[in-house]
Amino acid sequence: MKLPETIERTEAYLAERFPVEKMNYASMILKKEVPVHRLSWGYYMGGLALFFFLVQIATGVMLLFYYQPTVSDAHASVEYITEHVPAGALVRNIHAWASSLMIASVMVHLLSAFAMKAFGKPREITWITGVALLGITFAFGFTGYLLPWHQIAVNATKIGLQTIEEIGAYLPGQMATWPKAMKEIIQGEASVGQATLSRFFALHVIILPLSIAGILGIHLLSVQLHGMSQGVDEKPRRMEKFFPTYFLKDLSVWGVAFMVLFILGLCLPFDSLFAYPLFEPFNAKGSTPDGIKPEWYFFWVYYPLELLPFWVIMLGQTVLGVVMMATPWIFKNTNRRTLKVLAVAAGAYLVVMTVFGEKIYHLFKG
Amino acid sequence: MRALYSPRCWKTTLLLAFLTTVGSVQAYPEFQQHIVKTTGRAVNCALCHANADGPEGTGPGQIGHLTAAEQAELGRARAAFEPGARPNSPILNAFGNHLINSLGKKKFLELRLAPAQLAEALPKDSDLDDDGISDARELPSGTHPFIKSDGDPWLLFQANFKRNFTQIALALAATVSGLWGLGHLLRGFAVATRLKDDEAEDPAH
Repeated sequence: MKLPETIERTEAYLAERFPVEKMNYASMILKKEVPVHRLSWGYYMGGLALFFFLVQIATGVMLLFYYQPTVSDAHASVEYITEHVPAGALVRNIHAWASSLMIASVMVHLLSAFAMKAFGKPREITWITGVALLGITFAFGFTGYLLPWHQIAVNATKIGLQTIEEIGAYLPGQMATWPKAMKEIIQGEASVGQATLSRFFALHVIILPLSIAGILGIHLLSVQLHGMSQGVDEKPRRMEKFFPTYFLKDLSVWGVAFMVLFILGLCLPFDSLFAYPLFEPFNAKGSTPDGIKPEWYFFWVYYPLELLPFWVIMLGQTVLGVVMMATPWIFKNTNRRTLKVLAVAAGAYLVVMTVFGEKIYHLFKG
Repeated sequence: MRALYSPRCWKTTLLLAFLTTVGSVQAYPEFQQHIVKTTGRAVNCALCHANADGPEGTGPGQIGHLTAAEQAELGRARAAFEPGARPNSPILNAFGNHLINSLGKKKFLELRLAPAQLAEALPKDSDLDDDGISDARELPSGTHPFIKSDGDPWLLFQANFKRNFTQIALALAATVSGLWGLGHLLRGFAVATRLKDDEAEDPAH
């Protein structure tokens, strides 16, 4: 194919995904309609993830005023925020709860969008940006986990970074050294230390937020341009106006989410879900304490990693990554019924591994 | 003989006496071991001690790190055999000192043989971290009586919900009112925009 032809085809492809004639207030807001059917709840999950993201920005900025990204002061500054800053404990706790709720809602959003076949033409870019947003959300969780610089944070990060290095053993030739180099770039020094904390901090508060803002912009623009996907095989019985009907319902869901988050932030310290010695400042001379594990949203890969050979998990992860990115083309002709079964199976796996992962691990490993 | 009673010699004797006592000082791991065994939670020396690695060593909160004044405090705390002596041992944290103050060193040492009874012996109304769960209830469940964010999640939730009920009710009222007002405002906008569109389509109307 000649270059002009390629450019022409690319232009046509992008023009179909981002139709300029629809980029106006009337098309994107006033005339937009949302289908009403039994899976309509799925349409609210993206908005919910957006709400939690906005909460993360607001609370994150507040925490930035007091947090010190140095190995000597990070833990003390977090303690200071929790114990001495007015409403500091509430803000920090809301930040912790909202991070988990954001990841949970992004996961449910992805599964419901898959079940509703919301990736079909011309929504491929919406889907791909959505998968990228999920990856960035996980990266937010991983980088944020280190910042309080307590026992669990540092040791869990060490294990996570070690896993990256281990991939090298399964790669051929020169490629075998790449994961180690990548780990060193992320880590910044021989072991997890000040350089790592500085890099994770920069990633968490600058690079990832900028990336997510850009990709989220494309994602939301795409959603508004093409509207909500039909979601079900049969024609929806009725449609409702996006503005103000659906928008107000979405705001009500945000209101409920806010209240849930506020009550959780006020009444249930996130730290109470872990044993307290893990929250002591990191002791470089001490041994790895018992009970170190990643955040719950990594359990679906962590426990299988503990049970199965490393290469099996790496292979599985690679296949999963490729399938997720290529979903609009792989499942192009799959009916929604099959997609729903696959989404439910994936959801069940996530729930089982998250809730019972530890029990399953002990069942097999004793 | 005269030299033996010189101030310098006294100091040396006191130091030797102190070091001899220090050598015999041990933490009492029976309680920690019992809690770990019954709850399965990772509990370390920081439950009662100022240093997570226990009292022996040269780190902050450990015997080898104490100043002369702190050593004197330690001596007084060690002699607190009966309850109510208000010891302020520098090697113990607030909960450790609270234990000795509530029980007395004598009773505390006796309980080493029956560590399960330690929680029962504690005053029921004491809640050092003010998290709504009494120390006597926190100890057997392996949560720290001096860390506010550590406790049985459900009990913490109940206690904090009761304590913050007014704030929750106010936040709920504000959220509902805000949404109600915003809803009316947005519906108003929608109606106004529709009227404007109708007018543009049919100016005569």
